[in-house]
Amino acid sequence: MTNDNGKRKLALGLSAVLMSSMVLSACSSKDSSEASGNGAAPAGSLKIEIFDRGNAPAGVTASDNFLTNYVKENFGKANNINVEFVPIPRSEEVTKLNVLMASGTDVPDIVFTYDSGTFNKYAEQGGLTDLTPLLQEHGQNLTKFLGEDTLRYGQYDGVQYSIPAKRSTIGKYASFIRQDWLDKLGLPVPATSEELYNTLTAFKTKDPGETGGKVIPLGMTIAAAQYDSLVWSFIKPVSEQERFELTQNLSSRDYPILLPGFKDAIQYMNKLYNEGLISKDFALDENKETLTQNIGNGLVGAFSDDNDAIFYPDGTYDVLTKNNPKAVLSAIDPFTNSEGKTAKPVSAPNGMYIMIPKSSKHAVEAIKYLDWMSTEGHLQYIQNGIEGEHYTLEDGVPVSIPDLSVESSNKLSGGGDIGIIANGRIFESQEKNNEAFVKSFRTQYQDIIAKSLTISTTNPIEPVFTSRPIEAESKYGTTLSDKIKQLMVKATMVPPGEFEVTYESMLKDYMSSGGQAILDERKAAYSEQK
Amino acid sequence: MGYTRYFRRNWQMYALLVLPMLFFIIFKYGPMYGVQIAFKDFNFFKGIGGSEWIGLDGFREVFANQDFYITLRNTLMLNFLDLIVSFPAPLIIAIMLFELKVVWFKKLSQTILYIPHFISWVIIGGIVYQLFGQQSGMINNLLTSLGLDAIPFLSDKNYWLITYLLTGVWQSAGWGTILYLAALAGINKELFEAAEVDGAGRIKRILHITIPGIKPTIVTLLIINLGNMISIGFERPFVIGNLAVMEYSDVLSTFVYRIGLESGQYTLATVVGLFQAVVGLLFLLAANYISKKLTDESIL
Amino acid sequence: MNERAANKAFDTWIVICLTLSVLACLIPFVHILAVSFSGTVPIASGRVTLFPMDFNIEAYKKVFSDAAMIRSLGFTIFLTVLFTALCMMMTVAAGYALSKKDLKGRKIFMFLIVVTMFFSGGIIPEYILTRELHLLNTIWALVLPGLISPFYMIILISFLAGIPDALKESAEIDGSSQFGTLIRIILPLSMPVLATLSLFYAVGRWNGFQDTLMYITKPELYPLQLKLYHMIQNSQVSDLMRMEGNAVSTVVPESLKAATVMFATVPILLVYPWLQRYFVSGVMTGAVKG
Repeated sequence: MTNDNGKRKLALGLSAVLMSSMVLSACSSKDSSEASGNGAAPAGSLKIEIFDRGNAPAGVTASDNFLTNYVKENFGKANNINVEFVPIPRSEEVTKLNVLMASGTDVPDIVFTYDSGTFNKYAEQGGLTDLTPLLQEHGQNLTKFLGEDTLRYGQYDGVQYSIPAKRSTIGKYASFIRQDWLDKLGLPVPATSEELYNTLTAFKTKDPGETGGKVIPLGMTIAAAQYDSLVWSFIKPVSEQERFELTQNLSSRDYPILLPGFKDAIQYMNKLYNEGLISKDFALDENKETLTQNIGNGLVGAFSDDNDAIFYPDGTYDVLTKNNPKAVLSAIDPFTNSEGKTAKPVSAPNGMYIMIPKSSKHAVEAIKYLDWMSTEGHLQYIQNGIEGEHYTLEDGVPVSIPDLSVESSNKLSGGGDIGIIANGRIFESQEKNNEAFVKSFRTQYQDIIAKSLTISTTNPIEPVFTSRPIEAESKYGTTLSDKIKQLMVKATMVPPGEFEVTYESMLKDYMSSGGQAILDERKAAYSEQK
Repeated sequence: MGYTRYFRRNWQMYALLVLPMLFFIIFKYGPMYGVQIAFKDFNFFKGIGGSEWIGLDGFREVFANQDFYITLRNTLMLNFLDLIVSFPAPLIIAIMLFELKVVWFKKLSQTILYIPHFISWVIIGGIVYQLFGQQSGMINNLLTSLGLDAIPFLSDKNYWLITYLLTGVWQSAGWGTILYLAALAGINKELFEAAEVDGAGRIKRILHITIPGIKPTIVTLLIINLGNMISIGFERPFVIGNLAVMEYSDVLSTFVYRIGLESGQYTLATVVGLFQAVVGLLFLLAANYISKKLTDESIL
Repeated sequence: MNERAANKAFDTWIVICLTLSVLACLIPFVHILAVSFSGTVPIASGRVTLFPMDFNIEAYKKVFSDAAMIRSLGFTIFLTVLFTALCMMMTVAAGYALSKKDLKGRKIFMFLIVVTMFFSGGIIPEYILTRELHLLNTIWALVLPGLISPFYMIILISFLAGIPDALKESAEIDGSSQFGTLIRIILPLSMPVLATLSLFYAVGRWNGFQDTLMYITKPELYPLQLKLYHMIQNSQVSDLMRMEGNAVSTVVPESLKAATVMFATVPILLVYPWLQRYFVSGVMTGAVKG
């Protein structure tokens, strides 16, 4: 009998352990929720979203560092507002923001996203605060700082539902060529599409880099930075109406798929591919990894890229010169169109969309905060740090002091993510912006960057502005941008004889998957605007 | 036997079930009201309860989308091929390990075989491209240096299927052996000794003792695998797939990601999820039923 | 004699096949190891294969001198042990009860559980539930929602079903309670499957980070895999970062990524060799004889 009892005790013990772990969990969770203070917020309080990239240096976090304290001190204390930063993982921002919005509480008073589709969705569903009256009352400095041209990108159906960040430079792409190869072959710098083609053929046949047949005359990927300059040079000049109606804006990017000349561009890609003039693996290389390796190994003769992409420390240009000390790149602008102009797309003047949820009770404080940031050098402080400690002024442009101590550089952590009203550093004039941009790079690259920055803004094609969102675009955007890339890949890789059939059948699939719906809606929108 | 008496004898079993069932009710059934999103025009700001009912409109939209059928076909195709290629692989490896007499080699290879399970798909993706790329992949570099033609492992859809399957086997086979090894450990050793006395050969022993010994495990896994025929992980097809082979690599999970989550259309994502759940459950019940009839093994 | 030769050939084939498989599994791991010890230029040029080039240990120095990383390792170990222990208790409790084929209501319970393998409420209701239970930003948000995996429970049941009923009955005739039978007879007999399921739960928790992205914002509660994910993901969105205009110095060196992969992977890899002793065959033999 006693033995039996013992077993029973043991058995009950097991259940008890299970039970207590549940109770325990209930207790501790209660404690922590009280500790984190979920109670009613004081009247002057403000919760601000901040990107958590998980790369904050030891000892600081994305939501608690020197610069967040700067905000709390200089904005919060001064206005008697309790500022709190809410970290959101950078790579999951849309998912997490959606969940927070749907949960009804826990939503910060200031949220933002780069995804225009998300912004349109929130606006359409009536979840955002109309900012026009608030801007008039509390945001005059901010309005001045951003300018009408930027602000209009934050409207949905004519209502100011978001504040778009301002971009310091709108230039996107430049092209680069191996100057040492040109010199070796005694060739001039190509200035037109035709000259470029001849140069590429010469690279292929004469292999000036002695690559043993592995030469890639024109480095290519399926990322816009590589193909856009080439593709847009085939697009024929069109009227403003045609451009509005035939452009397809998918996932915040203008695609010229229906504009006259697009087919010629892809046919040209097909020709280059079949003649072995562009990367064989371009279809697999969406994140430029293979291209970067090939450039670094000295296999690539020419390529297009973002105007600054290859110049960062330990970046592509560094690797290239370490592997081939004689290698020299020149910035070029060779893709000429039917008018002989090197037209290429540039960014819209706006960056992320900053929004205030309708449920927020602190919209006034939120606008005051953004307004505060645009005044009296606060943004400059957040972006550049302290004069003398982090930078010195040269001609009114801040130049970083190299080799900062750990303590000093920790102070700058998160600056780019706190200064949400700007993408890049912004000064009184575009020239200053450009100068600051160039000077943020190492001295040996400043000349070529200045040139590539100029190229990227020469003959700019600005994105088409639509005052009312095209519903079909937000609905089919992701699907269609994949379909376009698929079309480009397939039609480029088939033998020239099959190009026509492949292109037409994929275009048909594109149109029936939503392309036609966008076209119809844009046509209607244009006549409405008139 | 009366209910009271039955309960008095078995109350401990029910006591053991209390916490687990509470867990399922709170954490699994609790959030299940979210399923109604499939029948609503989901609005983030009105929440799940406040959104408007739209009946079957979401279903109509999904079923009218041609990509839905292509991705459904690809999901079934890839899972079916996986069932043929990747399902037996861990079983075969586990039996080989079990048959192996050299203890140190056995332990060492077990430990190494399951390493790939711990490498995330993003990293595997990078390695796959370095190995199989057409122009600069290591395998093709080797082939071309031998004077052979490069093979488009990643950009031709049929070769891509092979790459996809092999990567799957490589990533999961070693991990899968663990379960079989645990089952093999439970086989009565006397059976093997008796077989040896009878003079049965190795292959015969495997077929008549080893495999029947772990049959319950094999059948359980097979039934669950069949229940999962219609669902597919996101990462493997997404990372190994590419634009040139989207005809095959585009599956339901990537489709949902594209139409649903990226653009915040939770209604459509939930519709596809619900469709997969219903079909998956039916598959499982059918597999369970058939298995019960054929092998007398079942999980329900 | 003939049979012996056949046996020998069979063994040789097994060794050859396994050696090839082992190499295939080892090589990518060695590659990552090599990258973690290499310099930037050879890595960026794609020249590092199985041996480090420009050998250096800077990446490891950086990982081990990062206090947040070390603390995260400690937290991850604690989380994994706690999670695994609770999961096993719950899974064994449910699995043992449901392995009794004639238990009244068993079919209903099983069906209710199997349904949860297919239907789920989705992340929004799950987030709201976690918030309502006040679990956000606590370790319990990473523990409680995953306590029982129906799949693992079913595996356990199929193992327990393999234990001869005679054993259980004889124990009960001896006067043992059902709890007692579980503790004294069933659990010792099931060591291989218990070890396996513990490993599955532990590895699942160790490698999982999706829930932490939703439920945890306190850096003290970041598991290692989340830190690793941040690091890898950051370099994936580099295109976006450029657009964000603060790309300078956010590039993570590949060697540091590789070293972090090692740091986050090796501890959990060591668990299996330690568990291997439970896989010794013939546990059942003694029991049946006794």
